[in-house]
Amino acid sequence: MSAESTRKLIALAAIWITLLLAPYWMAPLGGYTALATRVLVLGLAAMSVNFLLGFTGVLSFGHAAYFGLGAYGAGLTLKFLALSTPLALVAGTLLGGVCGAILGTLIVRRRGVYFAMVTIAFGQVFYYIAFQWSSLTGGDDGLRGFSRQPIDFGFFKLDILSSADNFYFFVLFCFALVVAAMGFILRSPFGRTMIAIRENERRSRFLGIPVERHIWIAFTLSCFFMGFAGALYALVNNFADPRGLHYSQSGDFVMMAVMGGMRSFWGPLLGAAVFVVLQDYLSSVTVNWMSFVGLLFVLVVLFFPRGLLGFIQRSKA
Amino acid sequence: MTQLLLFNVTNGLIIGAFYVLMALGLSLILNLSNVINFAHGGFLVIGGYIAYTITPYIGFWGALLLAPPLTAVIGLAVERVLIRPLYGRDPLYSLLLTFGLAFMIEDGTRFIWGPQGKPVTIPAFLAQPLSNDLFFITGYRLFMVAVVMIAVTLLFLLLRYTRLGIRIRAGTLDLETVAALGINVQMLRSLNFAVGIFLAGLSGVLAAGQLGLEPTMGTGLLMPSFIAIIVGGIGSLPGTLVGGLLIGVASGLTAVFLPAASEAVIYVMMAVVLLIRPRGLFGEEGMMS
Amino acid sequence: MNVLEINNVTKRFGNLVAVRDVSLSVAKGELCAIIGPNGAGKTTFFNLLTGQHAPTSGRIVFDGRDITGTPPHGIAHLGIARSFQRTSIFPTLSLLDNVWLAAFARQPSWRGLAWRRTDRYPELAERAMAMLDEVGLAGKAGEPARAISHGEQRQLELAIALAATPRLLLLDEPAAGLSPDETQKMVALVRRLKGRYNIILIEHKIDVVMSRSDRIAVMHFGGVIAEGPPAEIQRNAEVRRAYLGGIAPP
Repeated sequence: MSAESTRKLIALAAIWITLLLAPYWMAPLGGYTALATRVLVLGLAAMSVNFLLGFTGVLSFGHAAYFGLGAYGAGLTLKFLALSTPLALVAGTLLGGVCGAILGTLIVRRRGVYFAMVTIAFGQVFYYIAFQWSSLTGGDDGLRGFSRQPIDFGFFKLDILSSADNFYFFVLFCFALVVAAMGFILRSPFGRTMIAIRENERRSRFLGIPVERHIWIAFTLSCFFMGFAGALYALVNNFADPRGLHYSQSGDFVMMAVMGGMRSFWGPLLGAAVFVVLQDYLSSVTVNWMSFVGLLFVLVVLFFPRGLLGFIQRSKA
Repeated sequence: MTQLLLFNVTNGLIIGAFYVLMALGLSLILNLSNVINFAHGGFLVIGGYIAYTITPYIGFWGALLLAPPLTAVIGLAVERVLIRPLYGRDPLYSLLLTFGLAFMIEDGTRFIWGPQGKPVTIPAFLAQPLSNDLFFITGYRLFMVAVVMIAVTLLFLLLRYTRLGIRIRAGTLDLETVAALGINVQMLRSLNFAVGIFLAGLSGVLAAGQLGLEPTMGTGLLMPSFIAIIVGGIGSLPGTLVGGLLIGVASGLTAVFLPAASEAVIYVMMAVVLLIRPRGLFGEEGMMS
Repeated sequence: MNVLEINNVTKRFGNLVAVRDVSLSVAKGELCAIIGPNGAGKTTFFNLLTGQHAPTSGRIVFDGRDITGTPPHGIAHLGIARSFQRTSIFPTLSLLDNVWLAAFARQPSWRGLAWRRTDRYPELAERAMAMLDEVGLAGKAGEPARAISHGEQRQLELAIALAATPRLLLLDEPAAGLSPDETQKMVALVRRLKGRYNIILIEHKIDVVMSRSDRIAVMHFGGVIAEGPPAEIQRNAEVRRAYLGGIAPP
């Protein structure tokens, strides 16, 4: 095994060990398990956004809509359909993914800022619907009245409702599933074509790669991942928030990806951790936390565009 | 029935005029510099608050004349310091930056002027309705439309006949060639941005008189401005003009039949346009990226 | 049967006639060169062949099939590969991946597109390495494409086109921006390819073109003003007037 792949393996092992042991090392540092769960879910969302943004180079800024759809899908399922966590997760994922697939067909021919504008506008449609259809969605107050259900495996029940640790490991398991899927896809020829499209769209076309179709596939995949993350998030809080559909939430996810490093696989998770912790801290310390978050955006863009992992990579070289 | 219809259509036109003013500024900046200015709503708010602050000293008309240029100056400073470094890069970064800027502006105005809405006094004669029958057409609303019409006319005159305007139009089509011709592109972008912000500031002054002044009033106007641009066609200012009016009127008309859907209808319009004529009503092929 | 037949192809952009009634044919194993001053319409002509624009009139027949107006990714699947005048590669991918991708895209079946690991395609990896070897870059296969010199990138450009196993190879100024030494290497490379591939070459530098082309077509103001074997072209007074400008033949 070459030095390079040994290094990668060690890094990977380190990441997973850290994640597996989170409930144990967080407490002494002043954290708590539910925070880790939140970071994991938001990190997953940021990684899903990055799947499209960092790897395919597509400027999708309205992606939170599918996150929100996932949350509402899961919440509505638990509230009105069946008291089953797995079903809720599937429903949320499908809602986010299918909407993404349909909208994707309308917008894959656009590029750059036009694409961004349209994805934002479409995202707002869902926000608006969630707000207005208050009889179903609870409107401004959000969707309440449901909670994550213990999972029945037949021979034993996993109580994810009352045990924060249990829930954390459950979420970690789900996280691992999605991350594995992403990893497989990125390692496949499709992953290569995604990067090719990002680097040189014209050349890709001339090689015979059906660019629009591949962008649509990448878009749809990332919407499915987002839907799943959103569904998990609804379970975290037992609550679905219309603000989760707003473009400012999209901005948050993109910022997490940028802060962590858009060109790296794990960067967005790191970015999510930093962002969540920072935002929590700021909102507890000052009433003007919004301007500080805004300032963070500005500073990262001006001085730190490659993000944390990009920074580390550079100082290694 | 016709009363109601008339009321709502007129209302729609007035709102549409408003969208037009905002959207034109946004469009100018988008076309030349490829920047989606998320902070445009913030500049509207700044315009309104500046007007509020200086009205006690120079009165309403003074504020109307001074607040927009002052806002434009702030816009210039922002462009020079924050946005200029980002021009060569991926448009993602300017998106994120204006996004963060919007947060800062909203919170900043809240910090300086407080979270409560501020009362704005408009000259008494404007607050009167035109007649008892047409009670919904107050002088102020007519005045707003008049100001918008003047501003839009001046804008088009600027773009058509002045050197700056011609350079902006040329730059929108081919910035590289414009630079090669020896024109200072940095300056051009700055001035273009300033014009866009001027329009936002003006919107703010007008909005303050109509909607009342509070830190969050800009964000609600941002989305319709986007949609006006998409519907009218990216890259086309006349398109933005038509788009803004169209969605205003559509919104007004819908309010007659289905009040709850009056906001939704503009999204539906956007979807329809994207399906049938993706480049927008007046957009041109190839302006899409 | 000729591999490629171009019949009376014209391209208008509004009032501008970029390509004027051009006819050309390429026989099997031939190296056909197109020369002409800047703005003669050579690259636009290539763009017509590769589907970037559709001709305003005229026909393009490839291996007996009418392919006029086929879009770029269809062209690729027909077996026409192109290299670009301004280097067009994938900067962050390794040299091997650059070439591998070209080979992969040309496969009739995209099995395993989304799940098979890229290193599980041994035939493709072999082919990619072979192409890199052909252009002399095998030693740098693992490096990112942006890390190599301009001259080497031009070679990579060529390797990418070759990896697609083309029936017809279109080379747009392969020696663009190269130093005299690098140009020599490129000339030798093109010479090695001759006979094994059907090639149309656009070039500015006459030494690349004169020594080894089977036929040369000279374009000027969008039209072909002369066509024939190199010796004939050298003697053609009109060509000399338009392009060679009185330079004595080598």
